[in-house]
This record gives sequence, C-alpha cells and structure tokens, in this order.
Amino acid sequence: MSFPVLVLIVVFLVLLVLNVPVAFCMGIATMLSIISMGDLPAFTAMAHKIATGIDSFALLAIPFFILSGILMDHGGIARRLIDFANVLVGRFRGGLALVNILTCMLFGSISGSSAAAVSSVGGFMIPLMNKRGYDNDFNTSVTITAATTGLLIPPSNIMIVYSLATGGIVSIAAIFMAGVIPGILVGLGLMVVAAVISIKNQYGESGTVATGAQAFLSFLRAIPSLLLIVIVLGGILFGVFTATEASAVAVLYSFILAVPVYREVKIRDLPNILLQCGVTTSVVFLLIGTSMAMSWVLAAENVPQDISRALLALTGNKVVLLLLINTLVLVVGTFMDMTPAILIFTPIFLPVLSGVGIHPLHFGIIMIMNLCIGLCTPPVGTCLFLGCGIANTTVTRIIPKILPFFIAMIVTLIICSYIPALSLWLPDVLGLLK
Amino acid sequence: MEQLKKILDKFLETLLIISVAVLVIDVLWQVFTRFVMGNPSSWTEELATFLLIWVSLLGAAVALGRGAHLGIDYFTHKLPKRNRIQTELFAFAMISMFSLLVMVIGGISLVRQTLALDQISVALHIPMGYVYLAIPISGAFLLLYGMIGFFERLKELKKGVSL
Repeated sequence: MSFPVLVLIVVFLVLLVLNVPVAFCMGIATMLSIISMGDLPAFTAMAHKIATGIDSFALLAIPFFILSGILMDHGGIARRLIDFANVLVGRFRGGLALVNILTCMLFGSISGSSAAAVSSVGGFMIPLMNKRGYDNDFNTSVTITAATTGLLIPPSNIMIVYSLATGGIVSIAAIFMAGVIPGILVGLGLMVVAAVISIKNQYGESGTVATGAQAFLSFLRAIPSLLLIVIVLGGILFGVFTATEASAVAVLYSFILAVPVYREVKIRDLPNILLQCGVTTSVVFLLIGTSMAMSWVLAAENVPQDISRALLALTGNKVVLLLLINTLVLVVGTFMDMTPAILIFTPIFLPVLSGVGIHPLHFGIIMIMNLCIGLCTPPVGTCLFLGCGIANTTVTRIIPKILPFFIAMIVTLIICSYIPALSLWLPDVLGLLK
Repeated sequence: MEQLKKILDKFLETLLIISVAVLVIDVLWQVFTRFVMGNPSSWTEELATFLLIWVSLLGAAVALGRGAHLGIDYFTHKLPKRNRIQTELFAFAMISMFSLLVMVIGGISLVRQTLALDQISVALHIPMGYVYLAIPISGAFLLLYGMIGFFERLKELKKGVSL
C-alpha cells in the first residue's frame, strides 16, 4: 500500500469515528492524501473534482425525485394507496399488516424515499393496527422493513447514485428495471413472515371481502397516485423522457395532486418544501462531490486493482467472493448511511466483480439490498430510529420482533445474490442490457 | 453570534428556495419546449446544471447550520457529555479547515485559472469561472457556520469548567 493511500484510509477512519460528517471525512482525507503525494496543487485539484463531480444533467433527477417525494409525503397520497391495498390484501388474517407492506411498496416506489414511507405510511397504519389489536412493536417492525422496498422498486434515487458511481457503465433505466423483481420479492417475503406471525398470534380478524363497487371505487381513487409510476417508468423505458425529465414531470404531477386536487398542501407550505428539498439535495451532492475526488485519488493509486488482485488471490470462486462482499457491505451498512456507502464501495469492488463475471447491474442490486437491511439495524439505521420515534417505542423492544423480518430480507438477498436472472432478466427482456 | 447565525440562515434559506424554484421551472420549461413545441430550448439544460451546482453548494452551508450532514455518532454518542462536546469542537475545526483550504483558497484559484483560460459555456456564453464561483462563495459560508459551531462548543466547554 502506498503512503498516500495509507494517509487516506487512516485519516478517513479516524474522522469517521469522531463523528465528522462523512462528506468532510472524505474531503479532508483526500486533501491530505493529495498533499502527501507532493506534486499536485492539492486544493485547486480538489475544488475542481468537487465541481465537476456534481456538474451533470443526469444528476438533476435526484433533487426532483426528492421534491416529488416530499410533496407526496405531505400530499395525502399514502392514505389513498392504503385504501387500495386494503381491497387487495385486507381480507386475509393479518390483513392490515399486509396492507401496510403493500402500501410501503407502492408509496416507497413513487416517493423514492424509505424515510417518507416510514413516516407517511407508518404514521397512519401503526396507530390503526394498534387499535385493531396488533402488537405495537410488531407493527413498527413491519413498517420499518417494508419501507426499504421502495428503494429497490423504481424510481429510486439511490439507483441514480449507483449509476453515477459506476461511471455510467450502468444506465439509469437498466438499474431501475433490475430492481423491480428483487423489490417485489422482498415485499412478498415480508408478507409471508407477517402473515405467519399474525396467524400464530391471532392478530386482526379476517376482514370482509370488499364488494365489487367498493373495490372499484378505491381503485379509481388510487389511480392518480399509481399513474405516477406508469408515467415515470413508462416515459423512461419507451425513451419518451430522460430520467431527469421524468423526475421533473413527477414533480409537476405530485404538485398537481397535492395542491389543487387533494388540497393537502397549501401554497404557503411550498417555500418550506422547497427548502427541505434544497437541504436534502445538498447533503447528497456534497457527498457526491467529495466522493468523486476520493475515488479519483484511489484510482490514481490503483487501489481498486490492488484490492481486486488481493481478493482474487484469496479466492477465484464467484460464490465465495459474493459472500465475502455481501458480508462486508452488510456490516458497513449497519454503521453507514446508504448514499456514502454506495459512492465509496462501488468503484472499489466493481472491477473485482466484473473480473469474475458478475454483472454491474446484479452487483448494484445486491449492494442496495444489503444496505436496505442496514437501514433497519442499529447502531445507525435511519428507518429504525424514525419508526421507533413514530410508534413511541424503543430499539431494544423492537429487536426481537424485527428479527423474523430480517431473516426474510437476508433470505431474499441470498436468493438474489445467487440467481442473477432475478435482477438481469427484466432489463434484458426490455433490451436494456448492453 | 446567535443573531449572526439567524441572519445568515434567513439569507441563505431564501436564496436556496428561490434557486430550487427556478431550477424546477427551468427543467419543466425544457420538457415543455421539447414535447409541446417540438423545439427543445438550448439553454435550459445548461442553466439547470449550473443552478444545481449553486443549489448543492449553498445548500451544503445551510445543511451544516442545521446539523443535517450525515455522520456516524455511534462512537461519540457513548462518550461523557464533556468529551462529546470536545469531539464536536474538533469536527467543526476540521470542517472549517477544509472549507478554508479547499473550498475558499482552492476555489478561488480554480475560478482564476478557469477565467484565465477563457472557457465560455456553450449555450449561455457565461464564463465557466463564474459558475465555479459557487465553490469559494459556499466555502466562505461553510467556514462561517464551521466557526460559529466551533465557538459555540468552546463557550459550552468554558462554562462547564467554571461550574
């Protein structure tokens, strides 16, 4: 290992442990590493990398999906989806748990934010389920884990970040499609666990089957929300829109739903919503900027190749390699948030995996699935803490209840790791594989 | 200092809200010209990427003021309060140093180099140096927030000693 790389790693880890924000950890570690190389104007080079890192039209989709997510979070869209999901799966024992999961999948997909799914869906469903005799900690566990499925089911910002981190090897449309089946599988896995536990504990009565008219009505009311998925994905798939244009249309559409149609968001709320969008965007983009500078240094020092060689010397077995990397990303994911983890690890591991014939799309999906689990685990789990806050419970009480759901997520992860077709088939059929 | 932070917050937040609003309208206008008028406007895409640079860098300062940047508080969380404030003091010192060296000093030199090369943007004919001006300006705001955070922690620590 060369000296600049050593500087980079040590400084990065020390600052990280001391709770310096991750974007600055990367920035400072990279800066010191460039200084230790001795022959570059470090400060100017860094500034340049940060600027060019965020100078991209494709990245514009991120703030727009964030904005449409916030609009939907406040726009009463979750409630209409809940009614619709209730018609579909509400009649079974544990029906409300299934409704909760299905709504999280739908809402997480259209809003692209797991945090928004926890607050929007959980804020409504957890109290409702409590009233019907479900256990509060069980309800919270269902919501927390189901909320992450929205990150796999497109559109999804984290996938845009991944596409960027691969250096554009993977197109946004392709990675979007790759996530559909794995995302649905995770949702189904969670539903099976929720149903088994509900039956065992006699949660909720078997509801009545909705009449045709009721079903039709709830479907009609959910159409405007569901249509968003169709517009965005259809638009991108058929080449009508670029991802960025689709995201702008999503903003316009969710604005129309939330403000004039459902009237849940007032005009005077808009400045705050725009501000929230600006702040969330800049958090992501500062990470992107400094991580671009860091990957540039890592690449200049041949780190991905070195790691690749070291790992391949250890084993040439694809399965063992996947297992190793899965374990590592899973552990990292429990500590680190999703965006920085994707930005840091993609450029490092992609060459190894491509070397043994693992498709970049497949790898992206595996990494996102791993990090989704990390969102629900302590010590750092955005969804976990948000969910506990909403349901007024504690992490300690949640843990035993959430374990079965983790098992479902991990089993799905293993299945998707070893059956690449689950990720690759859909993009292939749609002609998105290069 | 609190007064300063309030004024700074208000100013940057207003700027950020306006920039995001313009950004949204700009890209919607692009979609509109492409699909409805069949003649995509040439400058909207460029304006959007420039605005994005400004939004993300100015927003970074606002986010710092609100403590919104992602970090790992797992280890420091377990420390006694006094030590935790010390680590925060250290973090703000690091952030300030980075903002000063890379964003302000590196940024200014980047702007000067780019202006000297006379790089002009394709559609809007803006010198690229002005676009990159976002870096030193946002760096100055980051530095301000970093210093405010630093001195707030310092004050807290001093108070703790006298108690």
